[in-house]
Amino acid sequence: MQDKTPKLTLMQKLKRFLMIDLVNGLGLTLKYNLGALFDKDAVAGKGIYTEQYPKVRPDVAPRFHGAPRLNMDPETHDTLCIACNLCAIACPEDCIDVIPMDVEIIVAGKPRKKKVLDEFIFDTSRCMFCALCQEACPTSCLELTQDFELATYSRAGFVWNREMLEQGRETVKYTS
Amino acid sequence: MHQVEIATTQETLLDSPEMVLNMGPQHPSTHGVLRVVLKLDGETVIDLDCDIGYLHRGMEKIAENRMYTMIAPYWDRLDYIAAVSNGLVWVETVEQMMGLSVPPRAHYLRTILTELNRIASHLLWLATHALDIGAVTVLLWALREREEILKIFERQFGARLTCHAWRVGGMTNDAYDDFDKDCRQFTKNFPNRLDEYETVLSENRIWLSRTVGIGVISGPEAIAIGLSGPALRGSGVAWDIRKSRPYAAYADIDFDVPLGENGDTYDRYLVRIAEMRQSQRIIDQALDKLPDGPVVAKLPKIVKPPVGDYYHSIEGPKGEIGCYLVSDGSAQPYRVRVRPPSFVNLQALKQMCIGHLVADVVAIIGTLDIVLGEIDR
Amino acid sequence: MLALAPINVLDELLLKFFSQDTINYVIWPLVQIGIVVSLVAFWVAYATYLERKISAFMQARLGPMRVGPWGLLQPIADGLKLLVKEDFIPEKADRWIFFFAPYIAVASAFIVFSVVPFGPDWAVIADVNIGLLLVLAVSSVGVLALILAGWSSNSKYALLGGLRSSAQMVSYEVAMGLSLIGGLMFARTLSLSGIVIAQASDSIWFIVYQPVGFFLFLISGIAENNRAPFDLPEAESELVAGFHTEYSGMRWSLFFMAEYAAMVVVSAVAATLYLGGWYFPFVHRLEEAGYHDLYVIVSLLVFLIKASAILYFYFWLRWTLPRFRYDQLMDIGWKWLIPSALINIALTAIAIFAVQALNGWRGIVTLQAMDRGLNLSATGKIIMFAFGLIGLVITGLLLSRINWRSRDFNLKTQRRNIRLVNLPKGKPAVPAS
Repeated sequence: MQDKTPKLTLMQKLKRFLMIDLVNGLGLTLKYNLGALFDKDAVAGKGIYTEQYPKVRPDVAPRFHGAPRLNMDPETHDTLCIACNLCAIACPEDCIDVIPMDVEIIVAGKPRKKKVLDEFIFDTSRCMFCALCQEACPTSCLELTQDFELATYSRAGFVWNREMLEQGRETVKYTS
Repeated sequence: MHQVEIATTQETLLDSPEMVLNMGPQHPSTHGVLRVVLKLDGETVIDLDCDIGYLHRGMEKIAENRMYTMIAPYWDRLDYIAAVSNGLVWVETVEQMMGLSVPPRAHYLRTILTELNRIASHLLWLATHALDIGAVTVLLWALREREEILKIFERQFGARLTCHAWRVGGMTNDAYDDFDKDCRQFTKNFPNRLDEYETVLSENRIWLSRTVGIGVISGPEAIAIGLSGPALRGSGVAWDIRKSRPYAAYADIDFDVPLGENGDTYDRYLVRIAEMRQSQRIIDQALDKLPDGPVVAKLPKIVKPPVGDYYHSIEGPKGEIGCYLVSDGSAQPYRVRVRPPSFVNLQALKQMCIGHLVADVVAIIGTLDIVLGEIDR
Repeated sequence: MLALAPINVLDELLLKFFSQDTINYVIWPLVQIGIVVSLVAFWVAYATYLERKISAFMQARLGPMRVGPWGLLQPIADGLKLLVKEDFIPEKADRWIFFFAPYIAVASAFIVFSVVPFGPDWAVIADVNIGLLLVLAVSSVGVLALILAGWSSNSKYALLGGLRSSAQMVSYEVAMGLSLIGGLMFARTLSLSGIVIAQASDSIWFIVYQPVGFFLFLISGIAENNRAPFDLPEAESELVAGFHTEYSGMRWSLFFMAEYAAMVVVSAVAATLYLGGWYFPFVHRLEEAGYHDLYVIVSLLVFLIKASAILYFYFWLRWTLPRFRYDQLMDIGWKWLIPSALINIALTAIAIFAVQALNGWRGIVTLQAMDRGLNLSATGKIIMFAFGLIGLVITGLLLSRINWRSRDFNLKTQRRNIRLVNLPKGKPAVPAS
């Protein structure tokens, strides 16, 4: 489609001949090249923006949806989970399996059955980290932490049991 | 897999003057798994067929078996670059069908974060488009800006890309403490960065040679195909859902809509850059006008819209993204239909490419700004 | 033009076993060849490293940092990786041609360095008096390697990519050769050392007299090397992946090295012809003071710095500019560069004539009586400089006349302004809360 070209002024013709448009672009990259060596401001200036992971660990936000964890009461070191199964119901992907068990406790002198948590299976390979389970938990037991390094060497390693969820996994942190 | 209309067998290279070339699903420039089968005469494209479906995950069918609040994370995965907008369509559809009124603070926060997402999506578009045409440096610069936005999303929502941002009735958490400061710092730096991209591209004679007059589609043709978003506005049609049927807080905010003229790639490029500038303006205004108050409305225990159907659409970064929801009164929807903008925009590809050279096909796919997650669902 | 080996102790040792002639004509050149080949190989390998670092800095990132301090061992790591890859020849490929094509490419790129003057005295391997012709001829052999690679791969896309690359290279070779003639009119010798001496004797770099020639040579050299912005035949986003689709491992790395070696060749020739080669104004005083070897080494460094500056220009262009489409590329080669080169030759001839007529030669009247070298007086220099500028203007005018119908020419610097429209607001779908 041929555009109707307006008549160019002498200044515009000179700019076109001397390829000022290309020179401007080249000047900007040259400024970046020098800025990479001398400018410290990466966000607003021309400095280097790279974070050299794993030497430098990123600042992860407090609300980050990372690896799941089952919190425990800090004083009694008992799990906070009441085996209510709300997290498993809330999960869109059916990753969570809450296996309760009945224990006998004495309430007002009478023996009662109380449901407590036996085993908690969380399949992180199916999880989409939507945090619906975290929102559903009434006791703030299930929490998504800031851990994002979830890789493992086998598919079975993605299925976490209660112990892994409470204690955390053994991982190697590379720092150099 | 539908039957590809161009015959893909060919005896020898020298038999006929036409050659069939397959830009296969794995290709650096097809922005996802798109297969384009080209029929070439030398280097000129004489016919083109798209083969999609490589990323079909059955999202609409999955949605029929989930509860309304659980479907929101699936919407993020459609147009994974503009997850916040996608989430907005869904929650607004459900809210409007149920007649819920969302608190104004939530509306404003939705506006701010959706506009940030629009900027992020356009930055990625610019990055990949420039990469395809050869200016690799712009890719890295645009991704740096995008990184700042993703940091804001991470601090606000907890995830960078597929955020699961909104809940039916508002949002889970109020804006985090430094939200205002972070957003304002971003909008302060952003116009300079846009000027930098424009310095390298907008007047560059090589860029102009590669984009002016390529992939032209006129206004009436665009309307006939059903294009929306910057592809439509690049052809001069003044249609923006944020203006014609405002949602969230757009009714109270003052902004302009950029319109192109010739409907070629260069116009669409300029329209998207201008849209980024307008988005920055919207964010600043919304931050100034942000009211106080709660961020979530009171919801019934189980979200159950009344029986019936409803269609709602918003202006996503790629075009009109809509949701058609049919409810049968139960806790799970009867049918969820996504109106994906990229799917409709992709129909224009054949018309835009025929007559151009092979190297232009890559530029045209870039300018339509398609995301296969949306096309295939 | 042979010089004796500078190290006298070694000389005495060798004289016990060989005759003086053998040392001069066999041993010493072998040593020179060894030094030059390793120097160039080192230069090429670290050019890849520098490209990655410089492109990273331009893009606000760091580049290779892990292998060795600041990533300095990265080329060695890359080389080792490519060496241990599987050596794969496609089944239907033509075995022997497939085998030889990368070697032809590398050999043609490296042979050129036998005539490039790295320094004054013993820093040239062979100062042939048709040096420049040899450079052009041997670079053309590199095109053959591309065609053979594309053909022998027996793949539709490799063949097409190879044909396009070679068509591009052949077109730009014409422009390259023509653009050199302007500078040759001053030096009046094809020997590259002679060209440097011509610049040295007059204390001027030819770029001052021939800015158009320099620019044309550089642009056609970049296109010759298939580098951005002329790299469509081998760009990643192009459909055909180019002639080296089927090559992997060490064979591919040979093509890669050949490409970088060709870049270094063009940089070296441009530095020699237009930037004064190893000559720099006050370095000659070292020679006069008696430090002959130091003089040669400093001149060598001067040459390397100049060639590296042009190499930087290569990287700079690649990472800033978008690439041309193939038809635009061929357009530029044939319709812009070749007419400019021809105009340049004509104008230079007229300029030299004018200098002669206006007595610009220092004390010498006729062209025949001149030595190698220019010997222009101050008047002569001013005339040549003026012609350089006039050449720019006339070239611009004539090119715009030739290309007035070209679509691309007419749309340059036409930045459009997008109109911003404030549309009226409609009713929201549901009344505002």
